[in-house]
Amino acid sequence: MTGDGIVLRVRGVSAGYGGRRGPLVLRDVDLDVHAGEFVSVLGVSGSGKTTLLRTVAGLHPVATGTVEMRGRDLARVAPQHRGIGLVPQEGALFGHLTVARNVGYGLRRLRGPERATRVAELLARLELDGLAGRMPHELSGGQRQRVALARALAPEPAVVLLDEPFANLDAGLRAAVRADVVATLRAAGTAAILITHDQDEAFSVSDRVAVLHEGRIVQDDEPEILYSAPATEWLARFVGAATLLRGESDGAVVDTPLGPVRHRPGRPGVVTAVVRPEQVRLGEPGVSALVVAVEFHGHARLVRLAVADGTTATARVPADAGAPRPGEATTVSVTGTVHVLRTGAGSSDRTTVGHG
Amino acid sequence: MSTPRRRLALLAGALTAALALSACGGGSTPAAPATTAASGDRTLVVYSGREEALVGELIKQFEQTSGIKVETRYGSTTELAAQLLEEGDRTPAQVFLSQESGALGAVAAAGHLTTLPADVTSAVPANYTSKDGSWVGLTGRARVIAYDSRTYAADQVPGDITELVQPQWKGKIAIAPTNASFQAHVTALRVTAGEEAARAWVQGLKANEPQIHRNNTAILEAVNAGTAGLGLINHYYWARSETDPTTLRAQLKFGDPGSVSALVNVTGAGILKGAAQSPEAAEFVKFLVSPQAQKYFAEKTAEYPLVAGAGAPKAVPPLDRLGGPDIDLAQLSSVRTTVEMLTQEGLV
Amino acid sequence: MLAAGAAVAVLAALPLVYLVVRAGQAGGDRVVAVLTRPRTWELAANTVLLVAAVCLGCLVLGVTTAVLVVRIRLPAPGLWWVLASLPLAIPSYITAFAWLAAWPGLNGFWPVVGVMVLACTPYVTIPVLAALRLADAGPEDVARTLGRGPVAAFATVTLPQVLPAALAGSLLVALYTLSDFGAIALLRYQALTWAVHASYTGTLDRVTAAVLALVLTAFALAMVLAERRVRRRATAGRAVVATRRADPVSLGPWATAATATGLAAVAALSLLLPPAVLASRILRAGTAPDWVDLARSAVTTLALGAVAAALVVVLAVPVGVLAARYRGRSVGVVESLAYLGHGLPGIVVGLALVFLSLGLLPALYQTAPVLVFAYAVLFLPKAVGATRAAVERVPTSVEEVSRTLGRSALGTWFAVTGRQAWPGIAAGGLLVAVTTMKELPATLMLRPIGLDTLATDLWQHTSMGAYGAAAPAALLLVLVASVPAWFLSERGRRR
Repeated sequence: MTGDGIVLRVRGVSAGYGGRRGPLVLRDVDLDVHAGEFVSVLGVSGSGKTTLLRTVAGLHPVATGTVEMRGRDLARVAPQHRGIGLVPQEGALFGHLTVARNVGYGLRRLRGPERATRVAELLARLELDGLAGRMPHELSGGQRQRVALARALAPEPAVVLLDEPFANLDAGLRAAVRADVVATLRAAGTAAILITHDQDEAFSVSDRVAVLHEGRIVQDDEPEILYSAPATEWLARFVGAATLLRGESDGAVVDTPLGPVRHRPGRPGVVTAVVRPEQVRLGEPGVSALVVAVEFHGHARLVRLAVADGTTATARVPADAGAPRPGEATTVSVTGTVHVLRTGAGSSDRTTVGHG
Repeated sequence: MSTPRRRLALLAGALTAALALSACGGGSTPAAPATTAASGDRTLVVYSGREEALVGELIKQFEQTSGIKVETRYGSTTELAAQLLEEGDRTPAQVFLSQESGALGAVAAAGHLTTLPADVTSAVPANYTSKDGSWVGLTGRARVIAYDSRTYAADQVPGDITELVQPQWKGKIAIAPTNASFQAHVTALRVTAGEEAARAWVQGLKANEPQIHRNNTAILEAVNAGTAGLGLINHYYWARSETDPTTLRAQLKFGDPGSVSALVNVTGAGILKGAAQSPEAAEFVKFLVSPQAQKYFAEKTAEYPLVAGAGAPKAVPPLDRLGGPDIDLAQLSSVRTTVEMLTQEGLV
Repeated sequence: MLAAGAAVAVLAALPLVYLVVRAGQAGGDRVVAVLTRPRTWELAANTVLLVAAVCLGCLVLGVTTAVLVVRIRLPAPGLWWVLASLPLAIPSYITAFAWLAAWPGLNGFWPVVGVMVLACTPYVTIPVLAALRLADAGPEDVARTLGRGPVAAFATVTLPQVLPAALAGSLLVALYTLSDFGAIALLRYQALTWAVHASYTGTLDRVTAAVLALVLTAFALAMVLAERRVRRRATAGRAVVATRRADPVSLGPWATAATATGLAAVAALSLLLPPAVLASRILRAGTAPDWVDLARSAVTTLALGAVAAALVVVLAVPVGVLAARYRGRSVGVVESLAYLGHGLPGIVVGLALVFLSLGLLPALYQTAPVLVFAYAVLFLPKAVGATRAAVERVPTSVEEVSRTLGRSALGTWFAVTGRQAWPGIAAGGLLVAVTTMKELPATLMLRPIGLDTLATDLWQHTSMGAYGAAAPAALLLVLVASVPAWFLSERGRRR
């Protein structure tokens, strides 16, 4: 382990398919994972998330760049020697082996009784007692995922890679299983990289979120910072609903179609304000607007509004704060301090905002 | 998936065309049993236990001279005899041409053969035809041993089949136990030497690991190729060879005169009861004992014609010098018991 | 629909029923006498030994071939798929004939094993190829991270996934070896099929033939049941959809060349050797073959194939539709009865129909309709399977929509389901046509006077030792049968 607690370091990794000259799926990716940390890699389908995972695991060759674990370059280390666990989508249990045999598969170094003890321990930890003799096709989806995790944890890896492991579970089950898995990993002190396209999922469980877009990491920060201070317009939209307003700023306040909006002090000039729905207020003194559509989300309503010059905005209205109806006229204003993007900060730019 | 569909259509088209062709072609579509003849066409159904290669040409000659269309079902004598027994009165066959007399006797014993006219049965010597006139002998065939002349000299080959159980012949003998001639031979052994001796011989033969072949032609092929040392066949398979038989690798050893090893069996023909009134059947059987047919047998199939004055096959000793055992051919009709024994001893 | 299906099923079961009746007519004592004969045991043991050896050979050769073709990067990848399935085009008796023509006097256990392994391996190779293609490589990745090298990961994780398919395939091999007549008779190996034929043609005792046929049938039905059970287990528990298909591995140039050479050698032995021997025999014969006779036999063969295919498709549709759309015990029974012919060896059906036609319908004895009926009984299962698969692929929701739009049930069939399922059904018919054209034992026993197929021509010529005269018929048979076989393998590969 290096002195700064980094257990996995990915530097400048590019990888692709189709040999040397094939198209690259990953371009110049940097990622650090500290001991015990839970990092999510967030991205849409095709952004290269699974390729990144397979490259780290050693199942896919690296075109350029290095992958180091605890300071050791893994370039010549085969997957079976890397000590990195893998939980693929669907769990990928060994269909012809029992649960116990699945979990014990990676414990070849241990002798019979030791292996049995360790298997039992893991099954207990993941609340799978009593299922040791079952076959994978006899288990429910949630149970299968937990067995897959137990199997990956059995040899005590330093890092576990999770490839959208909750994607195929029912919505109701997802949160519960997710919580179990995260708790188990934290208790074991194992670092983890979670691949997901679900922004909610990434935000709710991770220490850090790295967003992968078209093969590059565009921002790598704690979830709060990613949400409140996205580095590009694309990111702003990607991590949550956003209203983007262009306007002239004097350094502290920017003039927008929704009225004056305060932001953190900076240079004057043309900026784009990133306004989150919870920062938009209805009914208070402000610009007149028309309610276009209302979406009910139980705990709140998302209200889409249109201002005179055609700009649309999204506001979040708590459930107990009234029920606007489409077609109503109301006023809209922005409260609080918002994040602004300087002009030129388009969606394809990289930034070095946040912890590296 | 348009390409496979096109191919499918093509193939379907080809098949339909073939079907249409065959329907118009005529030659290959089978007719119903011969009794439903078209007006003016005379037809005859023959079950021939004799191979097409041997009698096919003769039947064609008959068709030409008589104008009767003959439909022949070729098969092994035993199979056809069994079929006649199974079919009973419903058989479409009108004439049964048999490779040897035992099968004819068995079919006659079951009452399926009608009595032949006296002028047909009297054409051949009495000891070579049926006693009751139910079938007529056509040609004589000698049981012989074909041997590989490159490996054995003539005097090394036994003239007595009982010697074949000796250990030096292990794995070298080729027989065709499903063939009617072999079964007739074993029946003759039963009749002359008794049941127990015959059974002992069969057991000894089985213990010598004989090669089991389908028929006599296959045995001759094997001996000619050197894959078998000795083979029990009928003389004419060798004698009718297109190349001079004396130059073949396989040569014949005739059995010791007077012993069962020199058995001369006869081929024969009988008319089925259902065809008792059929003029075509009568004409065919008469043709078979005519000088023309008998000459054919002598020259083309190298068998011993039974009608006097028809000549003799080349390259083999004349009939009267063979010296077959003194048995009544009618006694060979107990072939069922022989087959039972062969099956029990595991040769069939 | 159920009535039609039941009628078909009863027809299919009729021959076997009558065989039992006929055997029983001889009296229980005689039947027992035949059963307890040492010779019967010897024949049964010979048969079982042969089946075991061939199964083992096919399993080893088939799985190895499939693994190499799917997992190793070879030049011309599609080619190996086709080569693996082509041996199905060459009937086993033609391979046996070719070997005999090349090495006269060849006979016995090991030559038969060799011929049958080469002929039947595709029954293992093809399902294993398909299973490996579809196999989920995800678990293999996990196995790698859990400490196994690439070969060990494959062997412990992916191979067990495909083993059930291999096993089902090898049981099919067992079934075909059990039923095979031509190769066994030509190479003079004394198994049960040979014994049935020998008893039938070489003795006056039909009861022995009937009893031996029933023994053979018992073995065959046992195989069919075993194959069903294994196949069911193979497809159960497949709850996972493959998330990742494995990429072929590139070995070095020497290893790749060696692999390709090995596969090519096996393919050459099964596919090139017989036609080459046949061609050389034809050339050596010097005399021209009897073209007229050959053409007549060829046309007869094609015609019989076409008629049988048409009849079988018509019979198969009610049963196939029943099986695809409805569940329930009576449907299961109907389907099982239709599948009876799947297990019955050709010689058994031939014998049964001889007895049946002589006993019940003497007017039809030795006529073409009985022969075509034999083909129908034997090959109905193939068409039913294809029909069922094709109809299953048409979703019921489509049919329901058609009904709501005003069509009757029959109208829906013609306008919607039948039209969509037609290619699959036609493929089944094609398969039946090909198999009919290659059929030997039943044809030998049931054919009308004067009717010869290419297969029976071959048989008759070989029984006279005229290998040269038989060769053209053999070559023609291979050509006729290979076209649809290639076509069918193309479909399988593309899927």
